[in-house]
Amino acid sequence: MDQMTTPTAADSSVWIEILSRQHDVASRHRFERGPITIGRAYDNDVVVDDAHVAAHHLCIMPEEDGTLVAEDLGSRNGLFLDRESERRARVALDGERALRIGNTLIRVRTAAHAVPEELAMVRSPHYWAIAIACIVGVFGLAILDLWLSETGEAKAIRYFTPLLILTVVVSVWIAGWSVLTRVFRGHARFGLHFLIVAAGMLAYSVYDQAAEIGAFAFSWTGLTTSSYIVAWLVFGAICFAHLWVLGRSKLPLKFAVVAVLAAAAIAMQTLKQSEYRSNYGQPVVLHRLEPPALRMVTPQTEAVFFTDAEALRNDLDKARTEEPVGGDSSDADEGDE
Amino acid sequence: MTERWVQRFALGATFVVGSAAAFAARAQELSGPPAPPSPTVSAAAEGIYAAARPSLLQIRTLVEAAGRQSTIGSGFLVSADGLAVTNYHVVSQYALEPKTYRLEFARPDGAQGAVKLLAIDVANDLAIVQLDGKDLPHLAFDAAALGDTSPRGERLYAMGNPLDLGFTIVEGTYNGFVEKSYNQRIHFTGAINPGMSGGPAVTAAGKVAGINVAKRLDGELVSFLVPAGKAAALLDRARKDAPLDLPKAREEIDRQLVAWQADFYHALGEQGFRGTALGPYKAPESAGPWFTCWARTNADQTPKPRAQMDSTSCASQSSLFIAEDIETGRTELSHAYVRSIDLNSFQFAAFLSQYYGSAGMIRTWSRKRLTQPQCHEDFVERGENGSAPVLRAVWCARAYRDFSGIYDVAITTVTQDRDKEALISRLSMQGVSYDNALALAQRFVGEVAWTK
Repeated sequence: MDQMTTPTAADSSVWIEILSRQHDVASRHRFERGPITIGRAYDNDVVVDDAHVAAHHLCIMPEEDGTLVAEDLGSRNGLFLDRESERRARVALDGERALRIGNTLIRVRTAAHAVPEELAMVRSPHYWAIAIACIVGVFGLAILDLWLSETGEAKAIRYFTPLLILTVVVSVWIAGWSVLTRVFRGHARFGLHFLIVAAGMLAYSVYDQAAEIGAFAFSWTGLTTSSYIVAWLVFGAICFAHLWVLGRSKLPLKFAVVAVLAAAAIAMQTLKQSEYRSNYGQPVVLHRLEPPALRMVTPQTEAVFFTDAEALRNDLDKARTEEPVGGDSSDADEGDE
Repeated sequence: MTERWVQRFALGATFVVGSAAAFAARAQELSGPPAPPSPTVSAAAEGIYAAARPSLLQIRTLVEAAGRQSTIGSGFLVSADGLAVTNYHVVSQYALEPKTYRLEFARPDGAQGAVKLLAIDVANDLAIVQLDGKDLPHLAFDAAALGDTSPRGERLYAMGNPLDLGFTIVEGTYNGFVEKSYNQRIHFTGAINPGMSGGPAVTAAGKVAGINVAKRLDGELVSFLVPAGKAAALLDRARKDAPLDLPKAREEIDRQLVAWQADFYHALGEQGFRGTALGPYKAPESAGPWFTCWARTNADQTPKPRAQMDSTSCASQSSLFIAEDIETGRTELSHAYVRSIDLNSFQFAAFLSQYYGSAGMIRTWSRKRLTQPQCHEDFVERGENGSAPVLRAVWCARAYRDFSGIYDVAITTVTQDRDKEALISRLSMQGVSYDNALALAQRFVGEVAWTK
């Protein structure tokens, strides 16, 4: 920080700024010269309505060398620098760090305080365009998927209901993050939040379709049975991106929290799935066939297929004695579907 | 599988007489109008009943802790030293859980006491029990029945204690053996009711021709008896061999089930398969005589289906009762020829998925009795240079927790040679050894072919 000096030649005025907790300026007062007194009493230059501030709490005055200092006038609750906990009697002011008296934050700047260059008027129109393209992709894939698995009478309601639900949930989700960002950053960033959700959903939709087809094409059932893991990872990435927009501070902590929550969700769903299987004895097999032309692997010979089938026998014999048997059988008499 | 494949179970279901749970569930079916009595019959039956009555028993399974009956059945004495015949399913709870249950008899004169379980025959649903006593009245087996020479239409009199209402006699007719049953059963046209299981069905001369065992719920007076010869054989075994070691009863059942399935699958193998043409495909069906087959189509469904499905399904009449929640011994072969009417190839594949995904595990699953299924699936190529269609095949198997030698296994295949036409084939085997399952499945898969 450059040392703050009281300009002697041109403008020697001083600005007292009362800040909000988020360090936004709540009110600003201009004074031509010091000393300036701050407190709850009405004979002060700046009157603060804070029950923890003394009647005459603080005085801002220029030193002999021209620098400004703040001095505690003997208050009960004292003077602090911003978030520090060390009580001070005198503070040399630099125009950057706020002072804290009671629950009130105060920043003092001189007319000579240098401000950064103005930002160029870069709007972010691309966010919206890309987000809309992504969401169109998501909806398109969802409709395509529904259509390709349509084996009975085609009913419009089957298509509209999921899309409507998706739209409502996504809108509420984006609105929530935008409100938070507005509160903490002063700017809703709606377009950016929209882009994050849309891109995340598109990534998952594409993966999901690819996994469905890949599970058949490469005869790798695990691709679809584990797609919930990818879903949670994508959801975690979306949340982290939202948090990143919300504030760049403490990113490692935010990452850790999201990662832990995603891991917990994956663990819980894995547990739930295995419980479901052990309760209902559902076989784990490919749940969707694709047209034969999509097969990418060479078929096994009969001999190899039955050798692999024979290999399951050991697992079954082990399960016979090792697998837990819970409760009575009546709760699990359910067959398929 | 979907309902269409399930419905035939209802037609094929046999009801095992004498289980407590069955009492409540079936009560409605038992309240039909009684048959009008015929005075001449009752005169004949009166003498037979009077002669047989002292030999009749009610066999009760009691919950040890409560001292109350949990199931009841009947039985009859076959020797002066207290040997008696009943059904395995009457004593199955006790055989499987000897610490939780105990067995008791009650005679028509009110005498009661404990009985000892000496031998069981799971495949023929028989058991030999012994009660203390000397010079007890008893029944003899009918010579014609032992020689399988009973005349069709012969009058038989079934006795037992239906629904715990007291000992009764029911007149009916001998109708030979049930044609499609793998386990030999007499078709008895007469009213057998829960509680009469294990009771004797005697000739006019008072000789035992069969043992009451089951009835069909979907017909009238269609009942089944175990042939007397099976009981006589088990009785001989019980006299010769050491009595059943109760704590090891499960091992004995396991041994019997393994032996039974070895015979059954050997016989199936001997019979071989015959090919049925379904569209351009040849689908293997068992040539064994124990299968009841049904065909169905979805062509007449509303709304009009978008893919036509014509299926055939054959189930073996070979169920074995092991416990209230374990029934085994069935084999099923199903085929469905499906072709798209206006589905595209993706939609058609989705349509096939409904039948592929259940992987054909025969329905009831209980965590206490069966392990979770393990599956293996892949594309399979048969023959030389594409002489048979490539298949998508899934093999699923689960093991019985109580019996180490048997498994439930199903293999499902879907032809992969056309995109709007396919043959789905399935072979389900209950209570089969792993080796027999592999052998039969391999033959089955090998038989799925093109007609030309």
